[in-house]
Amino acid sequence: MISHDAIKKTFAPLVAAGIIATPAAAFAADGTVTIGMLSAFTGAFASFGQLQKEGAVLALEQRDYKVAGKTIKIIYADDQLDNELAVTKAKQLVEQDKVDVITGLVSGDEGLSVGAYMKDKNIPVVPMYSASEDSTMREWYSFIVRPTWTGAQPMDVFGYWLAKVKGLKKIYMIGEDYSYPYNQAGGFKRGFLRGGGVEVKTIWHAVPTSDYSSIIASIPLGGKYDAVLYNGAGSDAVAFVKQYVEFGMQNRIPLFGQSNTFEKPDLDSMPQEIVGAYSAHLTADDLNTPNWNKFRDAFKKRWNHSPSAASEFAYGSMELILRAIEARKGDVADKAALVAAMRSVDMSDEPRGPVKLDDYNAAIENVYIRQVALGSDGVMYNKGLFTAKNVSQFGPYDPKVYMKQPADGRTNPPDLRVEMPPEMLQVARDYEFVPFGK
Amino acid sequence: MDTRYVILVLNGLTQGAIFFVLGSGLTLAFGLMRIVNMSHGAFYLLGGYLGLATFRLTGSWTVAVVAAGLSIALLGLLLERGMLARVREGGDLSQTLLTIALSMIIADVALAIWGGHSLSIRSPAAISMPVTIFGITYPGFRYVLMAISVLIALLLWLILYRTRFGIAVRASVDDREIVSALGVRIDTVYSLMFMLSAFLGGVAGVLGGTYLQLSPGEDTTILTYSLVVVIVGGLGSLMGAVVSSLILGQILSFSLAYAPQMSMFLVFVPMAIVLAVRPEGLFGRRV
Amino acid sequence: MTRSVVQRDTLRGAKLIGAVAVVVALVTLPAYGDQYTLTTFIRTIYFGFLALSVGFLLGQGGMISLTQTAFFGISGYVVGLLGAERGVPFPIPELAGLALVAVTAFLFGLIVMRTHGIVLLMLTLALGQICWSFARQNTSVLHGWAGIRGIQPPSVLGLDLTQNATFYWMSLVIFGLGLLLLWRLVESPFGLALNGIRESPRRMSALGYPVFWLRVTAFVIAALYAGVGGILAAWSSGIVTPTALQLSRTIWILLIVILGGARYFWGPVLGAVIAVWLDVIISQLTPRYNTVIGIVFVVVILVAPNGILGVWERISAKRRRFREVAENEHAEALSTAPKARRRLSRAEED
Repeated sequence: MISHDAIKKTFAPLVAAGIIATPAAAFAADGTVTIGMLSAFTGAFASFGQLQKEGAVLALEQRDYKVAGKTIKIIYADDQLDNELAVTKAKQLVEQDKVDVITGLVSGDEGLSVGAYMKDKNIPVVPMYSASEDSTMREWYSFIVRPTWTGAQPMDVFGYWLAKVKGLKKIYMIGEDYSYPYNQAGGFKRGFLRGGGVEVKTIWHAVPTSDYSSIIASIPLGGKYDAVLYNGAGSDAVAFVKQYVEFGMQNRIPLFGQSNTFEKPDLDSMPQEIVGAYSAHLTADDLNTPNWNKFRDAFKKRWNHSPSAASEFAYGSMELILRAIEARKGDVADKAALVAAMRSVDMSDEPRGPVKLDDYNAAIENVYIRQVALGSDGVMYNKGLFTAKNVSQFGPYDPKVYMKQPADGRTNPPDLRVEMPPEMLQVARDYEFVPFGK
Repeated sequence: MDTRYVILVLNGLTQGAIFFVLGSGLTLAFGLMRIVNMSHGAFYLLGGYLGLATFRLTGSWTVAVVAAGLSIALLGLLLERGMLARVREGGDLSQTLLTIALSMIIADVALAIWGGHSLSIRSPAAISMPVTIFGITYPGFRYVLMAISVLIALLLWLILYRTRFGIAVRASVDDREIVSALGVRIDTVYSLMFMLSAFLGGVAGVLGGTYLQLSPGEDTTILTYSLVVVIVGGLGSLMGAVVSSLILGQILSFSLAYAPQMSMFLVFVPMAIVLAVRPEGLFGRRV
Repeated sequence: MTRSVVQRDTLRGAKLIGAVAVVVALVTLPAYGDQYTLTTFIRTIYFGFLALSVGFLLGQGGMISLTQTAFFGISGYVVGLLGAERGVPFPIPELAGLALVAVTAFLFGLIVMRTHGIVLLMLTLALGQICWSFARQNTSVLHGWAGIRGIQPPSVLGLDLTQNATFYWMSLVIFGLGLLLLWRLVESPFGLALNGIRESPRRMSALGYPVFWLRVTAFVIAALYAGVGGILAAWSSGIVTPTALQLSRTIWILLIVILGGARYFWGPVLGAVIAVWLDVIISQLTPRYNTVIGIVFVVVILVAPNGILGVWERISAKRRRFREVAENEHAEALSTAPKARRRLSRAEED
């Protein structure tokens, strides 16, 4: 996995510093393009790192690690989803490995931290799953290309759909206290309150929390709220959903999830009582398009399980990078040209649906409203219900109006419709919902 | 009265129950051997994973609990005999550091085997039905958890105060030399105690893996809470572990209800107060 | 006799040459090392400060503290809050950070410094966890998990500290000063009193030493070393997060100190150099680097409880004893050995 060169290179500084003062050899990589993939491969978020790696590796293997006559060398750096370690590892990728592109990145804060460090490095940064919108908005610079998503993007659609189409008025939201859920909550509140909702009561809990029973016991019943939305993912989601069902809450007030709550493989660890729960994401497990089926089959063949959104995003991002290198005929010396190539890559055959990039290099794509369903094999999956097409990271808003709002946080935007700035309740054209598969 | 408060108290008891199973093993091993087993959290996680594997194989939850407890006890025995005993003369620190290094290895190996995804053990249908008592409906499994914890407390009390092993343990806490002079093999007592402690860690893993979930990082979270139990209760005190896990459970339950974003911090505040007033803990002896 | 004096002089000469060579190699590093080597040495220096902090308490005072990373984090947070977020000019945030560290350490010291050994370890662990959980869960000021981004090193005396090499030199100078100061401290009556407390607090107390206050003072001094490391870390990485205070970090530093040799002045420094590089190298070679590093620590604790310097001392003592025995060539060779060892240990002390 690690070449002899890498080892030599690694020990070179030691040799230089400690034993003999040899001049550091130049490691000009002729014939190779180096991609650094920074992600959480150990620690509490190891699950997402693993899913990302599977998607990225599939894309690379399909091309046998070769593009336009160049060999692609990928270096995995484990940041344990710790923002400080992420910066340290990014430094390593830039200074030691001299990477041509940095990709990976799971979480919002991690993406923002690495983004801040990479700002003056003139190396393309392609976040795969990190969804804090500010990476492609308020803290964006031209070397960030994110062909995937922002936290608010699917949630704005979801909130609008629940209010406008399902007619819900009040939601009780319980979320993990950090930036990605903030952004998901922000999108949800904007969409829900714009669509006619009255209140999204927001509760934040510490990460990690193991036992949610007291949070669950504090949910007001008796029709005060129409539904509960759990705004958390991974192990927190498994524990929360399990305990929700254990207390029989699903019979008293319906449970919805944020984009990742019911994602596979966590869904496999949840009780089947939650069949019927809604969520919104950019993938659905029963997407039946030729592009998706091709990807899903290849993925299943390689890894023996179905892909989840994190894997698909990683696959698509890696494809974008590889196609850009191809378009540049393997010449990655000019990084600005490489970014320009990324911008003009055709991603209309992306497995999850066609993807275009906006002026901030963020994806414009389909959002799917989904429902947890039970398959004929007795395994739960996310069944697509409706599609909103060409959704931008700004939702239906004018980017200028949107960017003037404060960044999403614990208390931004407000919980109540009456406290929402009027310009955020009015848009020229809102989403249209097409039945899934149309 | 609002039934919600009753449920919050019950939640606190459930959490206290699991903290007790974890903390009691930790504190007893400390009282006797003067080591803080920092791999107790890793024992918990590994026990949970082994329980899950057993459960998948046999389909029996009870077998899973026993199997996990015994395998972790065996692991404890190997580590105690093979490593901890070797550095005993090096003092408390060497042993504690050793357990830290071991916890790194165990957690990483568990990640390599079971992956990073969140896994959980399905509770047996017979005991997971909601039970209604005095008009309050509460998950049956949580009552079982409390019962198991009470049972363990009683058993530990019996072991400590009604068996030859317990007499040897209590005597060695006071004076190791005299015990050796009396012909009790102190090494055997140490090994048995470490096994017992590890057994409880493994059992707690299956309990926790059933009512919570198992994933990387759980080991450190759970270790932190167990350390709070041990510190607040008093190092080495069984009674202290009972009282402090009850208190900790209630604090956690009520803070999750009223200030969920500060729950972790709120657990540590009473600890700070206890430390400032009684550094040896509620039931600890002055050292 | 004369021969052994000559030998001792040559040994001293060799040591001096070695020391000069290391200093020259370190100072000229930017000329031949690549960027990441510099970055890693900067990391080594700020973790080195933290290791000195832990090592000073453990080696000189026999106190095991798991609160030191909290001090590392506190100064970093103050620099981030005042400097990066509110634009307060250098050196006010830095001094404020160190002041807060000193005050916190004093207060904590009042709580824990009456306890010893493993109880002290547990109490300091508890205090460290309180600080960590606060940083983790306070989102209104400290931004919780996200921490504070965008911290920049100041420009002092017209130096451009955003340049890796300049920053490295600056860190190296500060580290050198820190070492010098600590060395003087260890050799001072205060340091000797601390050593006395390490061996027997009761006896020192009977001799009339204010044991408690001496320990509190040592705790504050050690905290300041951690605090300086925290400032360098914040400047260098540009970000401060709750990880800076995390238990696993504390434990890692403790292992570093043990790795180098807690009893020795240079132990923490050597430990930091080895551990930081080990981490960099092994994490590139295998995704299971935690297992490998764990095994390394297990082996060190089992085989070399006094760390690498302990092993070094054992080897060189053996070699010298062997040489002396060979010199004597007499039947009483066996009886001289203990004498030689005693002489050696005296030689070691100077």
